[in-house]
Amino acid sequence: MTKNLNTIGKSEKRVDAKDKVMGKALYPGDIYMDNMVYGYTVRSTIPCGEIRVDKSQAQKHPGVLYIFTADDIIGNNHHGVIIKDQEVFCKKKVRRIGEPIAFVVARSYEAAKEAAKMISIEFKEFTGVFDPREAMKDDASKVHKGKDNLIFHYKLRDGNIEEGFMNSDIIVENNYETSMVEHSFLQPEAGVAYVDEKGSVNLIVATQYPHYDREEIAQALNLPQESIRIITSAVGGAFGGREDITLQIHLALASYKLKRPVKTIYSREESFIAHSKRHPFYMHYKTGAKKDGTLMAMEAEIIGDAGAHASWAINILRKAGVHATGPYLIPNVKVDCYAVYTNNPYTGAMRGFGAAQVPMAYEQQIDEIANRLNINPIDFRLKNCFRIGSKTATGQIIEGSIPLGKLIKIAAEKIGYNISTGVSI
Amino acid sequence: MKKRGKGIGATFYGTGYGNGFPDVSNCEVELNCQGKIVVYTGATEVGQGAKTVLSQIAAEVMGVDLDSIVLVCEDTCCTPDAGTAAASRQTYNTGNGVRLACIKLKEMIKKVEENHKRVKGLPDEILTMKEIYEASRAQAIILKARDSFTACTSTMDEENGQGSPYWPYTFSCYAVEVEVDTETGRIEVLNAYCAQDVGKAINPVLIEGQIEGGFAMGMSWTLYEDLNLNQGIIKNNNFSKYIIPTSMDMPDICSIIVEDEESTGPYGAKGIGEPVMLAAMPAILNAIHDAVGIRVTKLPASPDYIVKKIQELDKSNLIERK
Amino acid sequence: MKEKICFTLNNKYLSIDADLSMRLIDFLRDELRLTGTKEGCSQGECGACTVIIDGKTANSCLVLLGQIEGAHITTIEGLGDENNIHPIQQAFIEEGAVQCGYCIPGMVLSAKALLDKNCGPDKEYIKRAISGNLCRCTGYKKIEKAIQRASEKMKEAENDD
Repeated sequence: MTKNLNTIGKSEKRVDAKDKVMGKALYPGDIYMDNMVYGYTVRSTIPCGEIRVDKSQAQKHPGVLYIFTADDIIGNNHHGVIIKDQEVFCKKKVRRIGEPIAFVVARSYEAAKEAAKMISIEFKEFTGVFDPREAMKDDASKVHKGKDNLIFHYKLRDGNIEEGFMNSDIIVENNYETSMVEHSFLQPEAGVAYVDEKGSVNLIVATQYPHYDREEIAQALNLPQESIRIITSAVGGAFGGREDITLQIHLALASYKLKRPVKTIYSREESFIAHSKRHPFYMHYKTGAKKDGTLMAMEAEIIGDAGAHASWAINILRKAGVHATGPYLIPNVKVDCYAVYTNNPYTGAMRGFGAAQVPMAYEQQIDEIANRLNINPIDFRLKNCFRIGSKTATGQIIEGSIPLGKLIKIAAEKIGYNISTGVSI
Repeated sequence: MKKRGKGIGATFYGTGYGNGFPDVSNCEVELNCQGKIVVYTGATEVGQGAKTVLSQIAAEVMGVDLDSIVLVCEDTCCTPDAGTAAASRQTYNTGNGVRLACIKLKEMIKKVEENHKRVKGLPDEILTMKEIYEASRAQAIILKARDSFTACTSTMDEENGQGSPYWPYTFSCYAVEVEVDTETGRIEVLNAYCAQDVGKAINPVLIEGQIEGGFAMGMSWTLYEDLNLNQGIIKNNNFSKYIIPTSMDMPDICSIIVEDEESTGPYGAKGIGEPVMLAAMPAILNAIHDAVGIRVTKLPASPDYIVKKIQELDKSNLIERK
Repeated sequence: MKEKICFTLNNKYLSIDADLSMRLIDFLRDELRLTGTKEGCSQGECGACTVIIDGKTANSCLVLLGQIEGAHITTIEGLGDENNIHPIQQAFIEEGAVQCGYCIPGMVLSAKALLDKNCGPDKEYIKRAISGNLCRCTGYKKIEKAIQRASEKMKEAENDD
């Protein structure tokens, strides 16, 4: 199909490499404009409670231009990639540490920070819920008022799970827990917003999806999308951590109201609490096989901690469920995935997106069964792995490019597994 | 005592938003007055190489040098929506969008060229792109084309989860050797062999870069990263407390790019941005088991955790012997 | 309060009045608009703000202006220019060592400080030289290769002279 190609398949030099090695690529923090002012975000310091904000003293700080709070949002104060459960500024309730409460705009970054300390916030703290397994229970306190903590339940059923285990000679059962982790992209969030001569709001920002940012800003500011322009700067890493809104709406709102360029740069510590994290998974796995090494059944319960906002939780737990079997043919499968609100930092997209956590369980289960059956783990995988025409647990027939067997053989050979004898050399 | 072990991890990853969610990448291409092909698409370059890969696809379809492509992806005012730089979907989805739009433009260019030659009566004349642009002006034709690609996905059944949520699937199998210090619990990854399905490699060096970085991220998650989260508070909130690997922590990585063209992909390519990190963690965990006989059931596999697990194993072995 | 200070920046002698308690990174970025020096953590852990001071690398987020009296400082802007790119920068491009690019100016300067002292470093030396520069994208492999390549190129160029 692909013969006589010109450039495809060639390791062409990156088109953006030269600017980057010269230090000329502009990330949002590198933008300076005349008449520019600086914004600093005031955030919740408690994971669960109610707030009362009084900005009157802080507003008197000589460097301050304006302090934005929920009262300044004319449009929608809520945003979110699927469920609009994040507030641009918290109005009454806070659900996690780090939720934005106010945005102080001042002539210098120092003045903005100083004034931020002068804002009086009365916190009335409630007992939060921090373990999704607890949060799922009926009597658990609710993270979002009037809403169940269970955001989503994905059910996968294929074959007959009881029969599958009945016909298994060996069953391996175990619990696995993955941790909440951080994208750690090297460039902390930053941005500059300004209003141009046509009256449009321009935002220079490092984002993974400019068109989505535009939509959310338009809704919060109650402006048509045509009045918003997102300019994507160089992006200093993302890995899923720049999919949800962080500073975009704050900057756009401030520049629109003040008619001046407004800039903000998060510190590393602020970056850690401002953007999403990877969902920790609590997984219970039960896998059965026959003595000859044929996989027979797999049952999994997977609970994902969404933290205080849903973000991509539905899609992530769904992706986890679809990938829960690993790339193996298992005739009888039962999977239940749950996405659950807690008062933890919110979790969202991160490289691998639900398909990254489940290999901890499915690949160790596979290895353990091979061990106990005294079968070489490579032979065991080759016997059960997907090939062209295989049917996945969701009933999808996969035709086309499925080179898994080849990959397993190559990796095994390179590391020195002897495939035929089952002996590691 | 230092003990070595080998382990393997095989994984798969379904590309795209999935479950019937509209997964669309739009692209516009035009021939400009300088004879350059300008490609407009809203796919963000986050470091993964989207700008380079999409430029290569455009250059290939148009039959021009890479230098003749100008890819604009940074401005919502002039770029059509190409979805998120996520779900390993930019090479596959937007790559297809770019390819389709370029095919349309190429057809238009061909017509302008033929028209020009016929009118001039010079059937063998070879026109440069700049001359074609000028010819198009003379013919009052704007050489601009637009197309889009929508991924193949269907909604799954709510009761039993049956359906075809993602396409295509990308496969990986990574093998590693580790050394476990049974006294300190410290784990060193000595070697990594990463066999990666790519469909077709648009740019092999960029793929190697993704594999190496993906492995580093997977290894880091497995062994080091810990937010020290307690009652909703992140205690490890900067790089002196939240540890990610330095150059000193990384093993040699051998990337093995396996090509097996995906018929629906641009030139057979699949997305690899996420798949490249998935197999690192299970390979390391299985190698730890091979070395010292413990199953890591909670991440990260920190030195404290490893020592505790080894002690538990020793105790249960002792009881068994008695 | 502003005080007088003299130092050499990218081979240019500067004598200025400045607040000496200002961080070097802020002076470079906010005052001179030399934005190639990046800030990643503000505590000397990530190395994105690496500059060379008198032949040694330093995290410019931890250096105050008052500390650089009489010093020679090199930032990424002092290496190559458009038409005369430095061999280290060229090697980074050729080896595919760049992804998001945020750590790269610091990496290039760490490489320069190494190669200025040691023209034929082995792999361990290279790894150590960049161990104070965090990169989240590349896994460091191509960066190490690029530095190796640059050292070979620079040696060749020296031999040709």
